[in-house]
Amino acid sequence: MTFIVQFWGTRGSIPTPGHLTKRYGGNTSCVELRCDDTLFICDGGTGLRELGADLLTRGHKTITGHFFYSHTHWDHIQGFPFFTPAYIPQNTFHVYGTAEGDRRTYELLSGQMRSDYFPVDFGELRSNIVASHLDGGTRTIDGVAVTVFEQHHPGRSWAYSFVKDGHKVVYATDNEIDLTLPDPARVVADPIAPRAIPDAFRRFCHGADLLISDAQYFDDEYTKKVGWGHPRATTVVDLALQAEVKQVALFHHDPMHGDVDVDRKIALCKERAARTNPQLQVFGAREGLSLRIG
Amino acid sequence: MSSSKTKNDWNDESTSEISVTLLPLSTEQTPSVLEMVQGPGAPRNYELHRPEYIVGRSVECDLPINSTDLSRRHVTLRRLPSGQFNLVDLQSRNGVFVNGVKVHSAVLHDGDSVQLGSVLFIFHEGRASS
Repeated sequence: MTFIVQFWGTRGSIPTPGHLTKRYGGNTSCVELRCDDTLFICDGGTGLRELGADLLTRGHKTITGHFFYSHTHWDHIQGFPFFTPAYIPQNTFHVYGTAEGDRRTYELLSGQMRSDYFPVDFGELRSNIVASHLDGGTRTIDGVAVTVFEQHHPGRSWAYSFVKDGHKVVYATDNEIDLTLPDPARVVADPIAPRAIPDAFRRFCHGADLLISDAQYFDDEYTKKVGWGHPRATTVVDLALQAEVKQVALFHHDPMHGDVDVDRKIALCKERAARTNPQLQVFGAREGLSLRIG
Repeated sequence: MSSSKTKNDWNDESTSEISVTLLPLSTEQTPSVLEMVQGPGAPRNYELHRPEYIVGRSVECDLPINSTDLSRRHVTLRRLPSGQFNLVDLQSRNGVFVNGVKVHSAVLHDGDSVQLGSVLFIFHEGRASS
């Protein structure tokens, strides 16, 4: 069993094309997760367009995919109308709600294709698009156990873990972990001190081979953006350390950050990780990068 | 108002002819380069002119590297329509590390380090002609 994880969009909030963001990329959130022949897609930001184009080059007669959306803010859904495989009749895509009866994501995906916003109606997509759901927070799909966790973000958001044969990948973006810390004032008073991550989320991420986490802000930026729904990158390092994950991909890069800024953010996070556990692999998610897990 | 033309007469619509020297616009195509900075024969540059290369220990590889750290066929480099090179691990024994991260594949950017066992390269992105 092998998970292949590929980053198609790593930018937060709004696409940022241009030479300043060339290395990490300007497309918004989209991560492909393949387990043998099963395709999972985490979020459908603008990176989804390129994933769609690539899927069509792989020689499959039919494509079946399972969409897991962190939430439905623009930067996580805008790629869907440009996802070419959705226009091809023999393909099937499942769009998962968090529980039975939760059709919110499915309906917002279709809503963004109303004629006010887009020239092609959702009903004209010729593939089979199915509103599916997790069962009580978990569902096993082709042997992969998918579990959901509600995060801290304006309008709500969800993290997902994917587990098979002892290997685990967690996708957790748009999550202001800092607002869940038991003593946020201490972070300002002593930014070096480890920050206690709440047990529930730590357990959810525990032992992951790969944690893909929103890590949008530098410490000094965060103080001006409390409540915007994104964490300090350094807090994500503490999550990764306390959850004993093997590697953490810093994700959802701030649209105001060029490659040089992201490099600096990664360097600071590596330095923080190395003080406690030099074995923790910290890196910046970037478009065109894929990892093999297992 | 005087009818004589002066240098700063905004109403004068005539244009003087001048000789313009165009600045050179480079359309030069430079290949991407894989610079071996550590390994057998280093330092050494491999210019990447072809659309695909296989790097490995086998002499049949496009870029054969005489190091037992490498698998016979270790990694492939394939040019994308964008002109960038995509690197893919061919399930090598010791893996492929880009900037210190073990990867399955990666689109390479200027300055990336690529490590295959103890062999270390720096990738230099070329410039495609328009």
